[in-house]
Amino acid sequence: MAELTLGVFPSLVGSMSLDFSFKLAEAAMAKGHKVNMWLSGNAVMMAKKGQKAFKDYSHIEKRMKELIAKGMETTVCEACAEARGYHKEDVPEGVKRASMDWYLAKTVKTDRLLHIGGE
Amino acid sequence: MKLAVFFSDWRRTEDTYERLKADKLGVILLGNGIYHAVIKEGGKDSPVLSKAGASFYVLADDLETRGFTAANVNAKVKVVSYGDIVDLIMNDYEKTAWL
Repeated sequence: MAELTLGVFPSLVGSMSLDFSFKLAEAAMAKGHKVNMWLSGNAVMMAKKGQKAFKDYSHIEKRMKELIAKGMETTVCEACAEARGYHKEDVPEGVKRASMDWYLAKTVKTDRLLHIGGE
Repeated sequence: MKLAVFFSDWRRTEDTYERLKADKLGVILLGNGIYHAVIKEGGKDSPVLSKAGASFYVLADDLETRGFTAANVNAKVKVVSYGDIVDLIMNDYEKTAWL
């Protein structure tokens, strides 16, 4: 088992890259790898719980919770979240908030890093 | 260095890509980047596929989402799954770049 860290910056609405990030995380965990996910920039929209699932519209909160339950470490950029009005009480269960130091520390220790750019 | 480069868009800004040098280079096409694997302009392949010595991959799910199949894919490009991309990252390439 190796460790994969994903730095994720795109929003759910602006591109499909956020979908890709979670599907890749799921595939990596299915192969027994440890996955860390850093949500930053517009990807911090995942730091808002209770998002409604519409038909034919991406809804990732459920998948994120399932992956967290299986051991994915998920942290959102605290400053990016606050800048967008997402506060501590908004965060879904299992999601941490931290400064960029968390991500930097992971990038040093991880076996592989994929930094997924935003829009 | 063994480098995997991810293309998620159909952009014509290959400057950074053209400057990349690696002992082993893999190019993974996903999202709207899959169009590099299936579209020809003026009868020519996408410039992305002209990188000498590189290996090219395209994500099957994103092909199908956009109405393409493996039959539409350029012969230079291998169709891969999410699991295959995990293996490429973990086993075949040391570093990654998202363009």
